[in-house]
Amino acid sequence: MSATGTSLDVTRELRAICGDKNVRERPSGGVYVSPATPGEVAAVLRFANVQRLSVGPAGGSTERSAAELRTDIILHTNQLTQIEHYDHADLTVGLGAGTTIAQLDAMVGADNLIFGGDPPLPERCTVGGLLATAAHGPRRHGYGAVRDYCIGIRFVTGDARRAKGGGRVVKNVAGYDLMKLLIGSYGTLAVITSASFKLFPAPRQTRTFLAEFSSAKEAIAFRDRVLRSPLSPMCLELVSPGARKMMRPEMAEDAWVMCVRAAGSDAVLARYRNELGMAITREAEGDGEQKMWTALADFPHAMPSTPDSGGVMTFQVTAPPTETLAIMEFLEGVATGSGLEIGMVGRVGVGHVQVTVTEKTGRDGESMNAPMRELHRVHSGIGLKLGGAANPWPIAPANLTQMCAVKQALDPNNVLHGREVF
Amino acid sequence: MRIPAVVDQLRKIAGRDAVLDRPEDLMLYEYDAGVRKRTPAAVVFPQSTEHASQILKLASSEGFPVVARGAGTGLSGGAISPENGVVLAFARMSRILEVDAENFRAVVQPGVVNQTLSDNVAHQGLYFAPDPSSQKACTIGGNVAENSGGPHTLASGVTVNHVTGLTVVLPSGEVVQLGGKAAESSGYDLTGFFVGSEGTIGIVTEITVRLLRLPERIATLLGIFETVDDGARTVAAITAAGITPAALEMLDGWTLRAVEEACHAGYPLDAGAVLLIELEGLAEQVEEQAEAVREVCLRQRAREVRRAKDETERALLWKGRKSAFAALGRLAPAYYSQDGVVPRTRIPVVLQFIEGVAKKYGLRIGNIFHAGDGNLHPLIMFDPRDPAQLELVQVASRDILEYCVSVGGSITGEHGVGLEKRDLMPLLFTDEDLDVMLSLRNAFNADGVLNPGKLFPTTRVCAETRGASRNAVLAAEGM
Repeated sequence: MSATGTSLDVTRELRAICGDKNVRERPSGGVYVSPATPGEVAAVLRFANVQRLSVGPAGGSTERSAAELRTDIILHTNQLTQIEHYDHADLTVGLGAGTTIAQLDAMVGADNLIFGGDPPLPERCTVGGLLATAAHGPRRHGYGAVRDYCIGIRFVTGDARRAKGGGRVVKNVAGYDLMKLLIGSYGTLAVITSASFKLFPAPRQTRTFLAEFSSAKEAIAFRDRVLRSPLSPMCLELVSPGARKMMRPEMAEDAWVMCVRAAGSDAVLARYRNELGMAITREAEGDGEQKMWTALADFPHAMPSTPDSGGVMTFQVTAPPTETLAIMEFLEGVATGSGLEIGMVGRVGVGHVQVTVTEKTGRDGESMNAPMRELHRVHSGIGLKLGGAANPWPIAPANLTQMCAVKQALDPNNVLHGREVF
Repeated sequence: MRIPAVVDQLRKIAGRDAVLDRPEDLMLYEYDAGVRKRTPAAVVFPQSTEHASQILKLASSEGFPVVARGAGTGLSGGAISPENGVVLAFARMSRILEVDAENFRAVVQPGVVNQTLSDNVAHQGLYFAPDPSSQKACTIGGNVAENSGGPHTLASGVTVNHVTGLTVVLPSGEVVQLGGKAAESSGYDLTGFFVGSEGTIGIVTEITVRLLRLPERIATLLGIFETVDDGARTVAAITAAGITPAALEMLDGWTLRAVEEACHAGYPLDAGAVLLIELEGLAEQVEEQAEAVREVCLRQRAREVRRAKDETERALLWKGRKSAFAALGRLAPAYYSQDGVVPRTRIPVVLQFIEGVAKKYGLRIGNIFHAGDGNLHPLIMFDPRDPAQLELVQVASRDILEYCVSVGGSITGEHGVGLEKRDLMPLLFTDEDLDVMLSLRNAFNADGVLNPGKLFPTTRVCAETRGASRNAVLAAEGM
């Protein structure tokens, strides 16, 4: 703790703000605090600024464990679960940052609506965490990224100002778009306390069409055919042979599987069948279909290990769709003969690939990062995010200078450094 | 700032024929499509990012304010010059630099006209989705500055949902590349933050946009209602039926009669309101939805539901909608257009409120709006030669926008804040909200060289503007 020797004072002050039961010290140093209101979040941050203490916001710890945060204060959002508004006829909802995605899904599902996001581990993943990490799942293809359906956000800046951007209507250009700035900022600028989203009508039925290919090249050619067809699938994912083994170790065949999820009437599904043609080897529906998509959403967590143990690392690559094939082939090439195993699930319609690297010989974390660094050297214009890491951008973003200017504007004392970006 | 000296410098940067400073030329740049006016000190036409960079360096060193301008179709005064300001007009940066159909992207200069891009990629089965009513004239640079929407925003989103990369010139003259062709880049989403910042943090000189595939089928329906109330209730009923149309527009009876007389779009002259409903996508899906929408309309007491038989009929129906603002120009010397947003279920009560405002102030107000996403455009008729009328119109507008906010809405859905609504920002935002936004503006534009006097309430800018040229900027902001 930076305020060495004063931890008792810190605990006492935080208890005065949030109540005794919402503050506890952790054995390894630092204090967990669970504010119950945005006002308490602001008070904690004000205190942290005065005392020059560091704060790391934490949601469901699906992306990075709160236990790994090395900040003086770990600020849990688990008590920020208020429903600010839910207008099912307007297809909008506003929720506290600590609400889990599963709770959100259950609430809106009862009214035949769905939320556009399906991030990994929805039982734990919170609204705030989803926003902070710009997480997504297979619905990213058909419903867009969270930046596309988040319509308002409330937060407390690093320097303890309570503010908001947007609102609760689906169309709104008043003021700066602060949603965009905070989405994917990994809690380095502000603590998100609540957000509003637009919702979508739930499809009445869905079907998943599976096509198997012997190479990534054939699979990507199939993707291109789908993208140029009149079809608009909900989800379009490519699963590499390595990813299949990670998710289901009993799978032996070396096939690349393209999964196309469609929503609509029998006539619409028949049209999909017709357009996709002979490539389809199997269809999934009902529980089996749902389980498959849950597994694909959870793929970053398919391999049980801690991110820093050296055994497993995950990262995400986003590139123009024409580069997807080269990226997947490059990573397959890295795996061959290196002792590393690489699994990839590609949201290939939008040029996104989720990568998991594993190895069995206990190398250090840096050598595990080698495939990502090498990939960046070959494809420099791509977006890269390292999963579960202290710094999600180990390769410095091109606009670091402008990012620093934004950071300085909202968190001049660098109080929010749960992520060691700056 | 000594204007002749600045003009000389600008000519050295952009060329002798690329700067205007004669009063008769400057008059053409003193207004946009809103109601405010101010004559700029000069107009310069950069032809490259390098020109824009040098101009901003000059502005920062000489302390003169700069405002970027596309086609001047904006409705919030965003492109109106500050006092002694220089207008950076992008008419000569109007090239489509690249169409990358395989990646569904195009790279364009800011002066490219919105419709021109869609026209240029149509042969590849693609289009640019944001479709403001002014799309035949407005530029993509202006769309980026204002985060413009249009009728098809309902399904496709506004401009920010269709921009993945920007080349931006900062006030220092530094050129930065934000994002690119990839859907996501490393680090903060500065591209997203930049879109809709109304020219207050940087000037865009290249834009990478998403292109969408043209739909296989489009169905355009016209729901005809006896009363505004029936039409308004139908909007929420369509959504409740699980259908998200591509566009869902409403015109009240008075407005549709004005439109019909001006452009003969085929709207019924005796209706209380019409809904223009467009569905697009896979043929099977569109046909099912068209039938479902027809049923919903009839259940909500539509007198009749017509469907455009062919592209000509469709184009005519849309011509009526997109020419509506112009058509109303025949009925009064001017109109004041508002841009409030409400949750779509509140449309009936807001329309009743607007009717009450019209009666209270003795004003004629037409309603034409993007009903599907609750974005209203009440058009208040008036004569600008009568200062008392202008005053009354502004009071009525404020009443309407206050009501929109009171039911959970916003003061602007797509036109931006600009000059016109800057002092209404406190209806939506607290002092602390505005403080945070201002600290972000100051992170890039501390001296207020870029588009001063826009977006922020005048009182806040006065308190917060800092830097060497503070006095020049305060003068420019009219204080």
